[in-house]
Amino acid sequence: MTAAGTPPALSIEQQQSAPRRRRLTSGGNSVLAQCEPMIWLNGGALVVCVVMILGLLLLILYQGAITFWPQPVVQVRTVEGSTYLGEITRRDSYLVGYVEAERLSPAVREIALDKLDASLLAKLSQLQSKQRLASRVTELAPNAEQGLHKLFLNSPAAQEATAAQRRALWQSFQQFRDHPESIARVTDRIVQLLDAATGSSAAIHDQWIRWRQRRDEWLAHSSLAEMQQALEQAPALLADLWTAQTLELLSVDVSIVVGRRLLRTGNFELTGEHFTWITDLEIAPEGVSRPRWAMIFERLAWGRFYGEPVALLIDDQPVATEPEKIWQQFNELHPDIRQRWQRRRRLETVDTGEVNRMLEAERLQLKRAEMRFGKDSEQWRRIAEESQRRSQALEEEFDVIRQEINRLDEENERYKLRVHTASGVDHDLLLADIVRCYPANQLTGKEKLQVYLSRWWEFLSDSPREANSEGGVFPAIWGTVAMTLLMSVAVVPFGVLAALYLREYAKAGWAISIVRIAVNNLAGVPSIVFGVFGLGFFCYLLGATIDELFFAEKLPSPTFGTGGLLWASLTLALMTLPVVIVATEEALAAVPRSMREGSLACGATKWQTIRRIVLPRAMPGIMTGMILAMARGAGEVAPLMLVGAVKLAPELPIDTTFPYVHLERSFMHLGFHIYDLGFQSQNSEAAKPMVFTTTLLLIVLIATMNLIAIWMRSALKKKFQYSQF
Amino acid sequence: MRSLWRFSGTILSMCVSSTLAFGQVEVDPDLPDYRPTTGVSGSLKSIGSDTMNNEMALWAEGFQRFYPNVKIEIEGKGSSTAPPALVAGTSQFGPMSRPMKEAEIASFEQKYGYKPTALPTSIDMLAVYVNKDNPIEGLSLPQVDAIFSKTRKGGYPKDIRTWGDAGLTGAWARQPISLYGRNSASGTYGFFKEHALFGGDFKDEVKEQPGSSSVVQGCARDRFGIGYSGIGYKTADVRAVPLAAEEGEPFVEATPENAYSGEYPLARFLYLYVNVKPGEELDPLRREFIKYIYSKQGQADVIKDGYYPVPAAIAREALESVGIKPSF
Repeated sequence: MTAAGTPPALSIEQQQSAPRRRRLTSGGNSVLAQCEPMIWLNGGALVVCVVMILGLLLLILYQGAITFWPQPVVQVRTVEGSTYLGEITRRDSYLVGYVEAERLSPAVREIALDKLDASLLAKLSQLQSKQRLASRVTELAPNAEQGLHKLFLNSPAAQEATAAQRRALWQSFQQFRDHPESIARVTDRIVQLLDAATGSSAAIHDQWIRWRQRRDEWLAHSSLAEMQQALEQAPALLADLWTAQTLELLSVDVSIVVGRRLLRTGNFELTGEHFTWITDLEIAPEGVSRPRWAMIFERLAWGRFYGEPVALLIDDQPVATEPEKIWQQFNELHPDIRQRWQRRRRLETVDTGEVNRMLEAERLQLKRAEMRFGKDSEQWRRIAEESQRRSQALEEEFDVIRQEINRLDEENERYKLRVHTASGVDHDLLLADIVRCYPANQLTGKEKLQVYLSRWWEFLSDSPREANSEGGVFPAIWGTVAMTLLMSVAVVPFGVLAALYLREYAKAGWAISIVRIAVNNLAGVPSIVFGVFGLGFFCYLLGATIDELFFAEKLPSPTFGTGGLLWASLTLALMTLPVVIVATEEALAAVPRSMREGSLACGATKWQTIRRIVLPRAMPGIMTGMILAMARGAGEVAPLMLVGAVKLAPELPIDTTFPYVHLERSFMHLGFHIYDLGFQSQNSEAAKPMVFTTTLLLIVLIATMNLIAIWMRSALKKKFQYSQF
Repeated sequence: MRSLWRFSGTILSMCVSSTLAFGQVEVDPDLPDYRPTTGVSGSLKSIGSDTMNNEMALWAEGFQRFYPNVKIEIEGKGSSTAPPALVAGTSQFGPMSRPMKEAEIASFEQKYGYKPTALPTSIDMLAVYVNKDNPIEGLSLPQVDAIFSKTRKGGYPKDIRTWGDAGLTGAWARQPISLYGRNSASGTYGFFKEHALFGGDFKDEVKEQPGSSSVVQGCARDRFGIGYSGIGYKTADVRAVPLAAEEGEPFVEATPENAYSGEYPLARFLYLYVNVKPGEELDPLRREFIKYIYSKQGQADVIKDGYYPVPAAIAREALESVGIKPSF
């Protein structure tokens, strides 16, 4: 926006006054041709993009980063005498009117009604002082009549009577309405009420209730005749009914703002709830406190537990009863117990796993023999015998492991922690079940940071627990990386070869154009279509054939005939293929023609030229294609849901057992994990923060993979520059 | 036999009344502890209900504690995905939140020559959720029908579009009701359509959600929302509306007692369908998994997920139906 960019004011004026034809010919002076508006448009578009992207990233970063920060534990005592202990998750406020107050428990309703009455009184007084009360009552008259009519029609007596009888009775109401002084009488009543109340809101409520009672009594009469009689006997009744109705209408928009907090109270096995809302109305005076020894227990199962420790038990004998001592002893004992637990888990997963795998192999061998030689054939019998013997040995081995596990379990079950909950119950927790616990209200900044980091570590390195709502996401990270790498391995060579043919060998013509158009269109196909294709072609057709040919003994359990790492990678490879082809073609096209001609002139063959001259120079461009493909592939979820990503995959697709890469296994994926947490989690309140954390992780993961690829590209570029002459 | 599996309140109330304590559900003490055996390995795949997704995941976690090398994969995209997967043999278990339809059973029978076996694994109440601030006292099923359905087969005289039509007064009366529901692949959708809508059609305005949890979250965010999902998905932000089977009857709270007594109108079994050839023995893997489900541990997982465990009598019958001799 330099001064030179601004057109002189005169020229615009000239142009505006000039005839239309001249404006068209003098394009150089038109507003659009000036650079200023375009700068603003382009710059503005960029700013909008940046703001949107940064806003989203910051939101995810903030929400994802704070999730694991330890919060203090708050104890809340209510006016009804119950006590809650937990972490405050959220606060908000809502409007409580007379309708909402009805649903509150008696003690709380009392408090709410006090406040509501005060605001009703204030409203009425304001109307009175502004002399608008009468006009408001007149305004509300049709509504009041309608309301009364509805109540009347629903009364037991009216429902039994005929329409004519009902109309006859209703006439007295119409007479009341049409009487010129009626509205004034209703207004007077309210004014009198206000005068009598003299600032006490309870009085106004009492009177209102009395009128309402009269109305209900009148409606409860068993026949219309009695109702009529009641109206005739008490001439003021009609006015009372009308006033009660008018007050009800006036009270509709009377409400108070009440704050409330969502407390994560845990202790699901005792209360059946993970979270509880507590409104400010319920809290007893000075009912909020932060008990010094309130502790948070993160457990292997049943979610969090909140309470104060009362005793540490070894073999059901208390060894410590003072909180300080308990905490001290706990810290001494817990690492050993956790170690034992981890040893137990290793025994379970690695050692028993091995035995089980061998047992399964025996079973499959027998099955294979059965399929080959037939049951009860001689060969089968021999193999069965052998297999029987080997299985026996394996099972003995298994027993040894099992005994060891039992020993560890028994040792760990000796240690318990007795915890006093807010509801007054003592509950025993096994120390082995506690993943992490801390006295939240006395943590120093450093200790908080320790808890924070240890939670992150657990999140990154552990497997999920409790139907994915707790624990870590390591299998999902692993699955995402494995799938993306395998996809790149599949798509890049394939895409580059296709592009090479298109650009280097094929003669330009209509056939090539059609192929190009088809490739470009492929990029526009929705990803779920690829998912369906993958499921139908790869899993059900290819996979099922492979199973029949090579894994027949495992049937009916499918091996390749269902979603898995290989099929997911291939499906995504197919999806990202156009990106790689287009990027490679561009890169190949950018290699100067003179270089090829030089190479050919030196006597190199076509393939030598491509291999030595063209490809190295196109490499950075090809890498760009790969980066784009990886970014798209890693973030894709929809097709994966069909071809292999699952909620819970027990084993990693790449691990330390032969053959290391298990192409047939299903896998967990961060993107699918986010979907699962967000839409399917049973405890959605607790899962919500995890959604942000997992999203943050996915973004970081994709960024890291891209950065590595970019780094490789720049390294390649440098290499290529050195080799230039 | 099938009729026995249908939710029958009286049978349940007879066997379960003793297991309830202070409104907190407990596992039937007659059920056995799970005892692991050897020779159990291999892989299992479960495809089906999304309502039972977490339940299956919890069972799998618990089962793997005994058999670490067993691989269990769980896919939960709706009950309607269970029968095709069972027929195609891509899964061994088909969790469903509704009984199979005749057509689904027929297509299974056509391929295998026998019917699939349904195991009632736990009890769920389909709750009608509203925002926690909603003061509504309760709804009758015809009212629920008039809220969700355009056909109104429940016989409610008029369409319910605002909260005022549903009986609320004050500021709520003018507010339109915003509807949340499930996609049509879901068993919850099917069950609700059959039992709350009396077989009628949903209104076009129902916002179809991909998961039970997102229905609940919809009602949590939307002050004027209403939706339906399994009771296991309840959060502090929503309220399960007490329901009455018919207009004028007293409202029944969605509590475990009412589920077992059969008074709550939308209680149902959650099934696990398996492919068992009659008279043939189950392979060890599936046998042990089914035994695990009907053990103390398996049924404790049910409670953990917010559903209600089945009594021992039902468990015994279920085990017998797949040729396992119950030990209790």
